[in-house]
Amino acid sequence: MAQVVLKDVVKNYGNVYAVNHVSLTVEDGEFVALVGPSGCGKTTTLNLVAGLIPMSGGDVVIGDRIVTDLDPKDRDIAMVFQNYALYPNKTVYRNLAFPLQMRKLPKDEIDKKVQAAAKVLDITHLLERKPRELSGGQQQRVALGRALVRDPRVFLMDEPLSNLDAKLRVQMRSEIKRFHQDLHATVIYVTHDQLEAVTMADKMAVMNGGFLQQYDSPANVFANPVNMFVASFVGSPAMSLIPLAAVTRGTEVALTSPEGWELPLSPANARKALNAKSPKVVLGARHSTVKLHKSQVPGSVPGKVYTVEPTGDITFAQVFVSSAILNISLAPSVQIRPDEPVFIEFDQDKMHLFDGETEMALKAD
Amino acid sequence: MSSVTGQVAYAGAPVAPKRANVFKRIFNHRNDYLYVLPALLVMLIVIAYPVYYTIELSFFKTPPNLQMKDKIFVGLDNYWAILKSDSFREVTINTAIWTVASTFFAFLLGLGAALSLHREFAGRGVMRAVLLIPYVVSAVAASYVWKWLYHSDFGVIGALAVQLGLSDKPINFLDNVHTVLPSLIVVNIWKEFSFAMIMLMAGLQTVPEQLLRAAQVDGANAWQRFWHVTFPHLKGVSMVTVLLLMVANFNSFIIPWIMTGGGPAGASDIWITQIYTIAFGRQRYGVASAYAVILFIVMMTLGYFYVKALTKGDESRAG
Ligand SMILES: Nc1ncnc2c1ncn2[C@@H]1O[C@H](COP(=O)(O)OP(=O)(O)O)[C@@H](O)[C@H]1O
Ligand SMILES: [Mg+2]
Repeated sequence: MAQVVLKDVVKNYGNVYAVNHVSLTVEDGEFVALVGPSGCGKTTTLNLVAGLIPMSGGDVVIGDRIVTDLDPKDRDIAMVFQNYALYPNKTVYRNLAFPLQMRKLPKDEIDKKVQAAAKVLDITHLLERKPRELSGGQQQRVALGRALVRDPRVFLMDEPLSNLDAKLRVQMRSEIKRFHQDLHATVIYVTHDQLEAVTMADKMAVMNGGFLQQYDSPANVFANPVNMFVASFVGSPAMSLIPLAAVTRGTEVALTSPEGWELPLSPANARKALNAKSPKVVLGARHSTVKLHKSQVPGSVPGKVYTVEPTGDITFAQVFVSSAILNISLAPSVQIRPDEPVFIEFDQDKMHLFDGETEMALKAD
Repeated sequence: MSSVTGQVAYAGAPVAPKRANVFKRIFNHRNDYLYVLPALLVMLIVIAYPVYYTIELSFFKTPPNLQMKDKIFVGLDNYWAILKSDSFREVTINTAIWTVASTFFAFLLGLGAALSLHREFAGRGVMRAVLLIPYVVSAVAASYVWKWLYHSDFGVIGALAVQLGLSDKPINFLDNVHTVLPSLIVVNIWKEFSFAMIMLMAGLQTVPEQLLRAAQVDGANAWQRFWHVTFPHLKGVSMVTVLLLMVANFNSFIIPWIMTGGGPAGASDIWITQIYTIAFGRQRYGVASAYAVILFIVMMTLGYFYVKALTKGDESRAG
């Protein structure tokens, strides 16, 4: 196993920058999720690490070697693909043996390794089958096995679960997690599903438009998103973002809406709001940090119920606040109806403030 | 399976013996047959009747004056005559060499061309267009051009051979019983490899990129990637291409007919040119028909494998 370092990695197709000056370090044995919306450059980044496409700039280091100019086969990596990419004309056994054959290992050693990998992944009974005779989950296990047999320094996985149905996906999620823990493997795992990233990864690298937005543990990314994109991408339901304006009232600072209501800010939040480049400030709040009242309480702002979605133990409500829609989670006992006027109270310690111009999170200092 | 009358076979239910109710099934699907009836009638007139008439004629000795009412029934005599003749043996060997060699090399060359054009390089579009020329040029025109290229006095190829010192005098490609068939096969390959190239290029487009990448990560070099991923993927389209080429080559007429007419001394005679000569040269329609029936049987056998290869591709794609 080994550390992986991306140094200022660039990949452009003409004017399209698929990967734009991305730098990050994956520590030895770490499970890192590359996450972001479709087309943000995740696959391209992974392919650059694998050496499957030439880089436009920067370097990739695996272990103690700069591998920028090495072929994929010389980088000592293994890859798992979204469509499994099993060789359709070969049996499962031959699929697993293939990378070892290519490395000219002796037959009995190949057999030993294939049997061992098959045992780990519980696919021994499938060894003589062709890939098309397997279910999606079984195919995915074989694909994992083919990565596993070689005992590579780094595992690269490109949306390995996105072709599976929801139930199987949850099951395979824990299996891959388990596999990582048992092997202490270095894993770079691409997904567009933030939930997968949050649940599986030690660290997540959030990408958008070819840029690395934030690289931190899921808890930190969730608690302190660096900008509005990350804030709205991570977490389900997404963080609600309400565009407002900061005004100073003597020593106090408040946020005002075009409708005319004002939300006084705590001293810490006031300092943040004053750090914005312009009066435009965006208020961010997660569904669990806001309270809903039927009548006005001090520090609450008016809203109107849009939808109510009971899910059993939690009821999700969407409420119009100024020009935005706010997600709120409620106890199932709370009875509200669409179009009902309500009042929203924000938790000053848990609210997020973003610069309306730069979309970056505002800091107090 | 859809059924107009609403009879649906439930999956898992025991299946009734197939043959017992063929007529009932046809009856149940009578509307379906009605839809294909017009096409069926046209096919009967333009295909079935000529085939029937050819088979009928093959059992008769026909008069050269084309007065078919004077034809004499001879049973299988025409067939025996053909199968026992020396020329049949020779022509069959020629046909086999012609078909196998043309198909093999046209396919190989087409595969090479398709593979080289599959990679990105400057001028790829131009190359592709150039390599398609043989396919779009009329076979008649190509035959005349090649006849000139091979010409013993004015031919470019002979002149080149002299210039390069490969030969001290211009080679007489088409008037030599040893060189004539290979020379014609070269023309045929030139004409046909474009077709194989188009088919295989289409096939190459469907090789999944991820599989090639997986193989690359697994440590396969370019040749191993071709052998383990690309080529197996091209199996279906290759089968179809080879079979189509075989059928086309079995039926070749234009190139040998225009360039040599089967000569010299029958050295480039193949079945079709032979049949043509017997029928329209020697006016022996009965024998020609029997010949055609033999060819028909061979073709149907090839056709059977062709359809089988096609449907096998369907199954594996569906699975
Ligand atoms: N071969 C290519 N030519 C041109 N643009 C490409 C190519 N491959 C990827 N791109 C572009 O790069 C961007 C990132 O692609 P990709 O890495 O596949 O995204 P993701 O995996 O995050 O969905 C996309 O905008 C895509 O259109
Ligand atoms: Mg992708």
